[in-house]
Amino acid sequence: MRIKTLLASAAALAVVPMLSACTENASSGGGDAKADARALTVGSSADACELSATEAPAGTLSFDVTNTGSDVTEFYLLGSDGLRIVGEVENIGPNLTKKLTVNAPEGDYFTACKPGMVGEGIRAAFKVTHSEDEQAVSASDQELIDQAQTNYRAYVQDQSAQLLVKTKEFVQLYEGGKDDEARALYPVAREHWERIETVAESFGDLDPLTDAREADVDFAAGEKWTGWHRIEKDLWPQDAKGYTALTSAERTTYGDDLLANVTELDGRIQATGSDALTYPIDAIANGSIGLLEEVANGKITGEEEAWSHTDLWDFQANVDGARVAYEGVQGLLEGKDPELAKELTAKFAALQSVLDQYRDGDGFVLYTDLTPADTKKMTDAVNALSEPLSKLTAAVTS
Amino acid sequence: MLANFLIGLREGLEAALVVSILVAYLVKSERRELLPRIWAGVGIAVAVALAFGAALTFGPRGLTFEAQEAIGGTLSIVAVAFVTWMIFWMSTAARGLGTELRGQIDRAAEGGRWSLVVVAMLAVGREGLETALFLWAATQAGTRDTVGTVTPTWEPLVGALLGILVAVALGYLIYRGAIRLNLTVFFTWTGAFLILVAGGVLAYGIHDLQEAGILPGLHTLAFDVSDAIPPSSWYGTLLKGVFNFSPATTWLEAAAWLLYVVPVGGLFLFRTRFVRPTRQLQEH
Repeated sequence: MRIKTLLASAAALAVVPMLSACTENASSGGGDAKADARALTVGSSADACELSATEAPAGTLSFDVTNTGSDVTEFYLLGSDGLRIVGEVENIGPNLTKKLTVNAPEGDYFTACKPGMVGEGIRAAFKVTHSEDEQAVSASDQELIDQAQTNYRAYVQDQSAQLLVKTKEFVQLYEGGKDDEARALYPVAREHWERIETVAESFGDLDPLTDAREADVDFAAGEKWTGWHRIEKDLWPQDAKGYTALTSAERTTYGDDLLANVTELDGRIQATGSDALTYPIDAIANGSIGLLEEVANGKITGEEEAWSHTDLWDFQANVDGARVAYEGVQGLLEGKDPELAKELTAKFAALQSVLDQYRDGDGFVLYTDLTPADTKKMTDAVNALSEPLSKLTAAVTS
Repeated sequence: MLANFLIGLREGLEAALVVSILVAYLVKSERRELLPRIWAGVGIAVAVALAFGAALTFGPRGLTFEAQEAIGGTLSIVAVAFVTWMIFWMSTAARGLGTELRGQIDRAAEGGRWSLVVVAMLAVGREGLETALFLWAATQAGTRDTVGTVTPTWEPLVGALLGILVAVALGYLIYRGAIRLNLTVFFTWTGAFLILVAGGVLAYGIHDLQEAGILPGLHTLAFDVSDAIPPSSWYGTLLKGVFNFSPATTWLEAAAWLLYVVPVGGLFLFRTRFVRPTRQLQEH
């Protein structure tokens, strides 16, 4: 009797997880292009980890991992923190292929091959893109919240890191007197700032030193004007009346100061442990709303880039940041207010298509080339989005 | 070839150890009629593992990674419970043998009949799923046309099967050696040895559950000697195969190992010290 119970429970232990945890084996081959995009191959050799693609649509992904080296290898799909194991196959002997099947929702990931089964492995970034037929992935609200926070943190950290790299490059060009190149890089470097502007602005000490416009500085009270826009004026002095160009020494002062502040900002954004920034779900939703307000207040009026007139770069970057923040909480919103989710997705797309009309090469036309009718069109698209977007925080935290 | 051989050896050893000790025990205690039960357990485990491996490889549905790890981890922990039970059951039966109370052995063996099947089944089945997946993968090797290209070859399959054969041979040697021991020594050594094996299985099970995200602390390592003992070296393979030793061990694994081995080992030593058989079975 007792033994039978033991046997039964051992069998139940083995069978229950099997029943509840089956996953579709992604079909390989066949003519279905969507399924093929989810069937990836990996070649793992002694010193390389080659994937057939670096991104795939969300859903059930399969990785056929072939060991082309001479030592045993392993393959991992890791979360955006590089720590959480989303899936792994171990013990892949030489000349063997093993399949890893995982359900992966949209987000940033890392892949890693571990020849010899030791160390960090050969890592590369991997992206799972949004997909309409992702529905198979059912996650609880808490999982969605955790995922949104993890993804948004990764996004902000990534943008901040890129901002630092480009700022360094920009400051070098500017201090070295390579004005044309500096002018070309200026709006590109600032995109990374504008995408995470609401986070950057949350540091009240750094923001005025870095992003103050001339009009906002109280010179009478003895405030000094530093940062991006101070340098902008020096690079585009044609609109300024009676402007005296900065000396090489002054350029170095302002350039070094900008780099120091951006470095400090990046340090705070990348901080870990008890200093790490947290992104509660309402902060992410409010960040999306806040970034769109930035568009309405500064970019659409042409006030932000008073000298370079590259406002549309900032416009696009603010919209990017707002959209990424929104998409982070979209899964949560779909469970709570699917109508609002639908409307927001449509309005983001509509705003983007308006903005796309003003593309010029890799960038955009200058603000000074816009007619009042153009800005009216943009204002309408922004307003059409900001009205439903203002309901986002309440909806996702309900 | 060597790498695949070592994988087969390791997976095979883990199962062969427990089975060889079970068989040695039954032979020594003259209960050979129970041997078919052991082989039945082994047979069921092999069949189930191969069937699952085939189904998961070729069927329309596969297991999620979490499920694979959760099943592996849970089965490991169940296996530890059964092996622990077996160790103490054998030492109780040994006492019966020692005092020549045949009735007691019969009762003990009676209760243990089906458990023997389960122990053998778990010992083989625990690593069976992984080994089966490996073997199926080996039969499919060489069909890739993009990125990782390997030429079709039987080498991996031959390597793995040779490894399993060597593991079985080692298991047989352990069995022969165990048969030569007198009964007291046999129980003390195999018991102590099995406790270490079971401790390793427990730690391994904990690690699986950590990988599945069910338990925390996957990246908090107690120690990492991967440089000195590479997991794919022959000695790393043996340590892993016999004691489930992992060169990079998390604190939770280490704690589970200690919390199992110290009390169970202590209890085992305490009990065996008071077993003083008056008649010792000699080798036959």
